[in-house]
Amino acid sequence: MVTAATSRLEGLRGGAGFPLVSLVLVACAAGLLVGSLRSATFAQLTVQGLALGAVYGILALALVLVYRATRVINFAQGELAMATTYIAYQLIQWGLSYWEAFVATLAIALVLGTVLELTLIRPVLHRSGIAAVIVTVGLFVLIDGIVNWIWGGDFKSMPSPFGTKIYHVGGVSIARLYVGMFVVVVVSALLVWVLFRFTKLGLGMRAAALRPAEAALVGVRVDWMLAVGWGLAALLGAVAGLMAEPSQFFLQPTLMQPILVYAFAAAVLGGLDSPAGALIGGLAIGVSLNLVVQYVPAISSELQEPFAFAVIIAVLLLKPSGLFGHQEVRRV
Amino acid sequence: MPVNRRKLATLLFALLATAAVAGTAAASHEGTPGVTKKQIVIGGTFPFTGPAALYKTIPAAEAAYYAYVNSKGGVFHRKIKDITLDDQYDPSQTPAKTKQLVEQDHVFAIVGSLGTAPVLSTWDYLNKRKIPQVLVATGDAYWGQCVHKALPLCGGKKKPWTMGWQPNYPGEAKVYAKYILKKKPNAKIGVLYQNDSYGKNYLNGLRTGLGSHKNQIVDAESYNLGDSAQVIAAHEVAMRTHGADTFVIFATPQATIFALVDRTAIGWSPLTLVNNVSANRLFELAAGKNGADLNGIISSTYTASPTTQANLPGMKLAKKIIGATGNQALQQSLAEGDGNIIYGLASAWTFVDALKHAGKHPTRASLMKALRHLNESKKNKNPFIYPGMTVKTSNKRTFPMEQLKLVKWSGGAGGDWHAFGKIYTGIR
Amino acid sequence: MRSRIATVASLLIAAAVLSVLPFVISDYNVSLVARVGVFFIAVLGLDILTGYTGQISIGHGAFMAIGGYTTAVLSRDHDTNLIVTMLIAFAICFVVGLLVGLPALRLSGAYLALVTFALAVSVPLLPLKWSSFLGGRDGVQTSHEVSNLWLYGVAWAASAVLFVLAWLILRGRVGRAFRAVRDSEIAAVASGIELPVYKTLAFGISAAYAGVAGSLFVLANNGFAAPDEFGVVLSLQILIGAAVAGLGSLWGVLAGAAFVGLLPSVSSSVPVIGSTHGQDVVFGAAVILVMLLLPDGFAGLLTRIRRLARA
Repeated sequence: MVTAATSRLEGLRGGAGFPLVSLVLVACAAGLLVGSLRSATFAQLTVQGLALGAVYGILALALVLVYRATRVINFAQGELAMATTYIAYQLIQWGLSYWEAFVATLAIALVLGTVLELTLIRPVLHRSGIAAVIVTVGLFVLIDGIVNWIWGGDFKSMPSPFGTKIYHVGGVSIARLYVGMFVVVVVSALLVWVLFRFTKLGLGMRAAALRPAEAALVGVRVDWMLAVGWGLAALLGAVAGLMAEPSQFFLQPTLMQPILVYAFAAAVLGGLDSPAGALIGGLAIGVSLNLVVQYVPAISSELQEPFAFAVIIAVLLLKPSGLFGHQEVRRV
Repeated sequence: MPVNRRKLATLLFALLATAAVAGTAAASHEGTPGVTKKQIVIGGTFPFTGPAALYKTIPAAEAAYYAYVNSKGGVFHRKIKDITLDDQYDPSQTPAKTKQLVEQDHVFAIVGSLGTAPVLSTWDYLNKRKIPQVLVATGDAYWGQCVHKALPLCGGKKKPWTMGWQPNYPGEAKVYAKYILKKKPNAKIGVLYQNDSYGKNYLNGLRTGLGSHKNQIVDAESYNLGDSAQVIAAHEVAMRTHGADTFVIFATPQATIFALVDRTAIGWSPLTLVNNVSANRLFELAAGKNGADLNGIISSTYTASPTTQANLPGMKLAKKIIGATGNQALQQSLAEGDGNIIYGLASAWTFVDALKHAGKHPTRASLMKALRHLNESKKNKNPFIYPGMTVKTSNKRTFPMEQLKLVKWSGGAGGDWHAFGKIYTGIR
Repeated sequence: MRSRIATVASLLIAAAVLSVLPFVISDYNVSLVARVGVFFIAVLGLDILTGYTGQISIGHGAFMAIGGYTTAVLSRDHDTNLIVTMLIAFAICFVVGLLVGLPALRLSGAYLALVTFALAVSVPLLPLKWSSFLGGRDGVQTSHEVSNLWLYGVAWAASAVLFVLAWLILRGRVGRAFRAVRDSEIAAVASGIELPVYKTLAFGISAAYAGVAGSLFVLANNGFAAPDEFGVVLSLQILIGAAVAGLGSLWGVLAGAAFVGLLPSVSSSVPVIGSTHGQDVVFGAAVILVMLLLPDGFAGLLTRIRRLARA
C-alpha cells in the first residue's frame, strides 16, 4: 500500500495566506463582473452558475470533511445526499412543512452519517485505503437500490422552498430560487466554520483529524470525532440535495450523480483538504461550466462532465494540492 | 502459486452455481410462440424509471385495457398477458430486455415498445427473426418508410415486421412549419432538439416544412437526455441572443418542462411550440407549478382529451377501465388530463382490433397482415382517438394515424389544452 | 507434484463442464453463461491491477467502452472480422491503459480512485459529441450479429487464453514485481524494481483485458454499442465483482464474474432480487458484507469452510 503521510503542521491554520491564489481569484471575480456588466447573457449565465456552483461547493465541502477525517473519498456522498432528500420528501408527505422537514432531515443525516462511519467504514479503515473506497462504492449502489425500491424511480415533486418569483435586474432575470440556494449554502458553510472554529467539539474534531496521536493524548475521543466528521458531511450533503432538488424542479434518484462529478472537480480544484477551497472550487466550476459551454464552441453540453474530468486531471498533474490544499509529502 | 484441492473446490462450486442458475428456465415451444389455447403472451419495453419515466402511464394504461378485454373473455377465449420490462428509455438496455422477452418468455409479438432509439436498437434483431415489433410508441418516419423499401435510413434492409401507430414526427413538424409561416411570416425561429435521431428527424421535418424559409431558423440547439435545467436554460439564453422570437421544442417531457420553466425564468416570451409527445396536460401543469408562463403555447393532438372532452363515450369508457385497476395514482393522472393514458388505451385498442382480425389461430404473419389492413371506422371505431380521425392502414398507407389537430394552452398554470382549427390530414 | 495434478485436473474439469454446458441448457441460458465469460475477462483484468498491483480503478467501464466501440465501428464501417476487432481492441486499450497509467504514477489511493471515476463518467459521453462517427445516443450496430453459441465459444475461449496469460504473467518476474509494488512501494523501489514501468504496465494489461471484455459485451448486446451501456454502474459492477471474488485471487474471479454476470438476469418472477433495484441492493450489500466479513472474498470463504471442516 502506498504510504502518503501528510505534513500536518500547517493544517490547523486553515486556508489563509496564499497571495498568488488570492490575486487570481480577485482577477476572476473582476472578470466576471466586467463581463456581466457588458453582456446580459454573460450575467445570466454567471448568476445561474453561482447558484449551481454553491450546490457543488457544499457537496465538495462534505467530501473534504470526510477526507480530512478519514483520508477516504466517499463515493456515496452524492447518493447519501439524494437519499436524505427523499427522507425530506417523505416527511413533507407526512405533513411537515418544507422548512420543518429541512431541519429534521439535517438531524437525520447527521445521525445517519455518523452511524455509517461507525458500522461500515471504521472496521475496514485500518486494512487498506482500497477497502474503504470499495465500501463507499458498495454504499453508492446500495443506497441507489434502496431509494428506488422504497420510492420508485419516477419523479417526485416537492414544494418549492423559495417560490417562483423572479427579480429583473437590468436585462438579467434572477430567480429568487437562485438567491435562496446561494444564501442557504453560504449560511450552512458559515455555521460549520463557526462550529469548527469556536466550539470545543470543533477543536476536538480538527485535532482528531490532523494530529490524532497528540489529540488522543490530551483526551480527545478521536474515534468519535472522526465519526461526527462523517455525520457533519452527511448533513452538508443533505443541504446540497435539498438545494439541488428545486433547481431541477423534481426529485429523482439520479439527482446527485452529475453533481457528484462536479463536486469532485471542485474539491480537487480547491484542494482535497481545504474546506474554503471546496466552496470556492464549487463556485468556480459552476460558473466556468456555464460560460464554457456557451462561449467555447468546441465544448458543448455533452462535454460538461469530461470538462470537469479535465479539470481534475490538470489540477492533479500541475498542482496536486489544489488552490488551497496542503502539499502531501510522500515518503518513497 | 500454491495449488491444492481448495482451488478445485472453488472452481467446481462456481461452475455448478453457474450451471444451476442457468439451467432454471428452459422450455421448448411448439407452434406459434406465445400462443396457447387460453393465453396469448406479448411483451414490450418501457421507461418505468429514468429520464423518460413520465411516460410510464402508457404501459399501465395498456395493461388496464388488456385486463378489461380479459374480463370480457379475452380474444377468441384467449387472455392477453402483457410482459413489460423497464429499459429506462436507454437503447443500450433494450436489446437485452428484448432478447429476454423473445428467447426466455417466448412472446408472440413485441407490442408498443417505447422510444425511437430503443426501437432502432432492436429492429434488426426482431426483423431477422420475423417477430412483429408493432405499434411502437414512437412516431418516427422509419416505421412507415421501411416496410417496402430498403432505404439507407432503414439500415439497408426492409423492415416489414416493424410498425408504428402515431402520426409521424417529421410530418408533425411540417404542420408546425405551416402554422408558423401563417401566423408569423417573418418569425426568427430557435429550435431546441434532443441530440439523437428522434430530435434530428423532427428538426429535419421542420426544415422541409419551412421550405425556402428554412433560413428563418436562426439557431438550432441540441440538448442531451438527462441534461440539467441549467443546461437547457443556457441553450435558451443562446437562442434569445441569436434574436429568436419563435421557440420550437422537440424534446422529451422532462426537458420540455425545464424549457418551459426556464423560458419564463430568463424573461423570454417568444411564440412557443412543443411537440405532441410533450403536450400532456400533466407535464404543463408541472411546469406551471414551477413558474412557467404557459398561455398561448401551441402543440397538436390526435387523441381525445380526458378533461375538455370528458363527455365523449370513449372518455367515459377510459374512466371506467382505469377505475377498474384500483390504481389510485393512475386514476388521479387521468383526472388531471394525462393524455398518455388515452394514448395507451387507444394503442391497446388497435392491437386487440388487429388480434381479432388475425384469425382464430393467429400466427405472427396473420397478425402483421391484420395490422397492415386496419380500418377503424364506423362500427369499428377506436373510441379513444380524436373525434373525426381514423386509424387505417393498407399496402400503400403504412402509418396507421395520419391526422392531427392543433391545440393551444389557455388558463394559465392550472389551464388546459384547447383544440382549434381544422384537422390536418395526410401527415407523413 | 500433487498440486500440479490438481491444477491440471481442475482446469480440465472446468474446460469439460464449459464445453458440455451449452448443449444441455437452453439457447437463452447459453447467452447468460456467455455473459459470465465476458465479466470473467473484465474482472480478471481489474484483479491484475487492483488485486496484484494495489492500484484501484473505478473506471474499467471506460476501457470496456473503448473496446466495445472499436468492435462496433470496425464492423460497421469495414465489416472487419469480429475476432480481429477484439485483438485490435486489446491493442488500443493496452495503449490507452498505459496513457492513463502515466498520471496514475503520481497519484495514489484516493486520488487515483477519483481520476478513474471521472474517466468512467467522461468516456461514455464522447460518442454524444462525435455522433456522426460514434453514433451518438442512437448507438452503433455491428454489420453482423453473432449467435449465442458463437458468443459462448469465443467468450470462454478468450477467457481461457487470457487466464493462462494472466497466470504466466503473474507467476513470473513481472508478477513478483507487481506484488512487491502492492505490498510496499518503498520496499519495491529499494529492491531495484522500476516503479513507473510496472505500475503503467499493470494499467496497460488490465485495460487491454477490459477492452476485450468490452468487445464481447457489445456482441452480447446483439452487436449494439451505445453510450449508456458503459455507464458508471458498469465500472462499479466490475469493481464489485473483483471485490467479491477476493482481490488477488485468480480462482475467485469465476465466482465474482458469475455473481455480477448472472444477477441482473435472474428472472423478474423471483421476488426482491428479480427487480433491477432489488439487484442493486444485493450488489451493494454483498460487496459491503464481503469487505467487512470476508476480506479475501469468495476464495477466502472456501478456505475458511475447509478449515472449519477440518477442525
